[in-house]
Amino acid sequence: MTTIDLSTSETPAKTVPARPPRRALDWKAETERFALLGAWMLLIAIFGMLMPESFLSWRNFSTMFGSQAVLVVLTLALLVPLTSGDFDLSGASVLTMSSMLIAVLNVREGWPIAPVILIALASGAVIGAVNAVFVLYFRIHSLIVTLGIGTFVNGLILWISQSQTISGISMDLVGWVIINRFLGIPLAFFYALLLAGILWYVLEFTIPGRKLLFVGRGREVSRLNGIAVDRVRAVSFIVSGLISAFAGVLYAGMTGSADPLSGLSLLLPAFAAAFLGATTISPGRFNAFGAVIAVYFLVTGITGLTMLGADAYVQNLFYGGALVIAVALSQLVRNRQPQDFS
Amino acid sequence: MQKLLTGAFLAVCTYGMTAPAMADPMADAKAIIAEHEKMPVFEAPGDAFDAKACMKDKKVLSIPISMTIPFNVELQKAMASAADEIGFTYTTWDNQLKVDQWIQGVSQAISQKYDALDIAGGLNPEVLGPQLSEARAADLKISTTHLYDVTQTQFGGVDYSAKVDFSGAGKLLAAWAYVKTEGKPNVLIVGSSDVLPSIPFVKAIQAELTALCPECKQKHLDVPVSEWATKIQPGVQSALISDPGINFVLPIYDSMSQFVFPALRITGSEGAVKIASFNGTPFVLDMLREGQVNMDIGESLGWAGYAAIDNIMRMICGLPSVAKLNVPLLIFDEKNVKTAGIPANFNDGYGDAYLGGFRKLWKLN
Repeated sequence: MTTIDLSTSETPAKTVPARPPRRALDWKAETERFALLGAWMLLIAIFGMLMPESFLSWRNFSTMFGSQAVLVVLTLALLVPLTSGDFDLSGASVLTMSSMLIAVLNVREGWPIAPVILIALASGAVIGAVNAVFVLYFRIHSLIVTLGIGTFVNGLILWISQSQTISGISMDLVGWVIINRFLGIPLAFFYALLLAGILWYVLEFTIPGRKLLFVGRGREVSRLNGIAVDRVRAVSFIVSGLISAFAGVLYAGMTGSADPLSGLSLLLPAFAAAFLGATTISPGRFNAFGAVIAVYFLVTGITGLTMLGADAYVQNLFYGGALVIAVALSQLVRNRQPQDFS
Repeated sequence: MQKLLTGAFLAVCTYGMTAPAMADPMADAKAIIAEHEKMPVFEAPGDAFDAKACMKDKKVLSIPISMTIPFNVELQKAMASAADEIGFTYTTWDNQLKVDQWIQGVSQAISQKYDALDIAGGLNPEVLGPQLSEARAADLKISTTHLYDVTQTQFGGVDYSAKVDFSGAGKLLAAWAYVKTEGKPNVLIVGSSDVLPSIPFVKAIQAELTALCPECKQKHLDVPVSEWATKIQPGVQSALISDPGINFVLPIYDSMSQFVFPALRITGSEGAVKIASFNGTPFVLDMLREGQVNMDIGESLGWAGYAAIDNIMRMICGLPSVAKLNVPLLIFDEKNVKTAGIPANFNDGYGDAYLGGFRKLWKLN
């Protein structure tokens, strides 16, 4: 089970009154909800003052928004099983497999790009289903299964690519990911935003979404309430695989190429963004827009530091430091409630 | 590391300040380029010797940094091919970038009584210090292949090193940027200080640019190898936005290009900012053919494999080490990129002068 906390007020079994009593504005809670957003704005203001010409240009923001779309989508993919209480460590492998399938089938085999994208997406769903089978049928922890399946997929990627980087992916895909723009921002950003909106709507306002959340908060309670826990968890793995594969499609479109290793390095930044995102908008809960804000908060810091000429190690100090400090502050605001990753 | 970087920085500054002013920098830069546009010819790296007689019953084991890297796979193939021509036992220790596998490789060489151990394709022998001491104690000769720059001193635990002219490649990249911008380069160099030869490589680019054009702007973005996928693109984007005058990006290893080019695309700099690099990796040559990369300096891995075996044999046979790996650097640009094959590969486009040259040198004919 993977939850940030177990707030008794949100226990699913509790009867929700038809019209909740009106409460006074909880400034502490509201401050926590928007603290990361505020920190992001503060960061923009600081870098803006230091480099008004370059940092505050629309070109800079459109570049930041467009170039991080892959990371946003991968973070959203991980968020689905995290919500239902599972880890998916195979996400980056699925991403890499998806982009490599596109490269191999489109460039080497000469297949048209549209069916190739469908095959890539299907591969993600299949890998998600395999994860689900091992986790649910054999009752193995998701960390172990997804680590093993991810490593297996990495081997498949090296095999099908013959350890080679393949360039020359269809310009149609590249066009629809990075070249075509709306408001000067590459379309990839809007795909990521749309996906975040869909996830937010599903998790907040639909019965399957609420079931996913309930399963994450308490599997036994959910089961006793008649929720088909295994089916919900299985769907979360498949959806995670599908979205990770979509991230791979964007990755292939972003670089116009695929290599067997580089996509794997996106796993930890995606998890970092998911956990950082859980400190904002709906604190204590993995949430789509929190994850989006987390990704752009981190990339704003790194972009600003790079533009100021900071060394690579300073970026790591910022990335790791911001994550730990933000989560620690959030915990202080929440009176240091224990985090449960059992 | 800090001392090393500070030292490198001071050396660059010193070189930059003391670099002699060139009478005609454009002519000098063009001369450097012209030298590397010609089809490579074989130049004997040392005296001829009877390789078959000397290597009779000898065994060599080579540990590449990782066999998941295409460069290493091709280099090892060429080395095995050369060993096969001569007729000695040559074993590649297959691994996937894991220290425990490298250690196993050294143990295997000792227990199986190999005569020489080669550390190839970028693996730093210092990470195997105790194991190499043990190998030496067991009378194995130890060499490195394609690791050090010609200006670097080899690790004490190593006998011979086939060094690469990374500094020469650096000078060539600087000359290319200077000529192609008509003497007005504003360059972003993308390096990786965690890779052993990167520091002299970057230093050579910086020094040559300073010598050609003391007032021209240059910037260095340093990204560790493990972070290429996540840091190169945002780093290049930031540099291009903070200085819209940048007209050339020089990623020192051409595999970086797959992350540099999206940065050009997303910032709208495609066409105005050009990419030139080093290695001749096939997918980058494909990018060059498609107009995404402006120039790539290639080195034939077939040639490199034979040259590496040549130096290993000189070590075993008691002949002096070669000054540098006998591999010419060849410019690939839009004019000749198709000679590298469609899709490109590691060996086409360089000719096969090395085959006849080495066979004669080893008295195989």
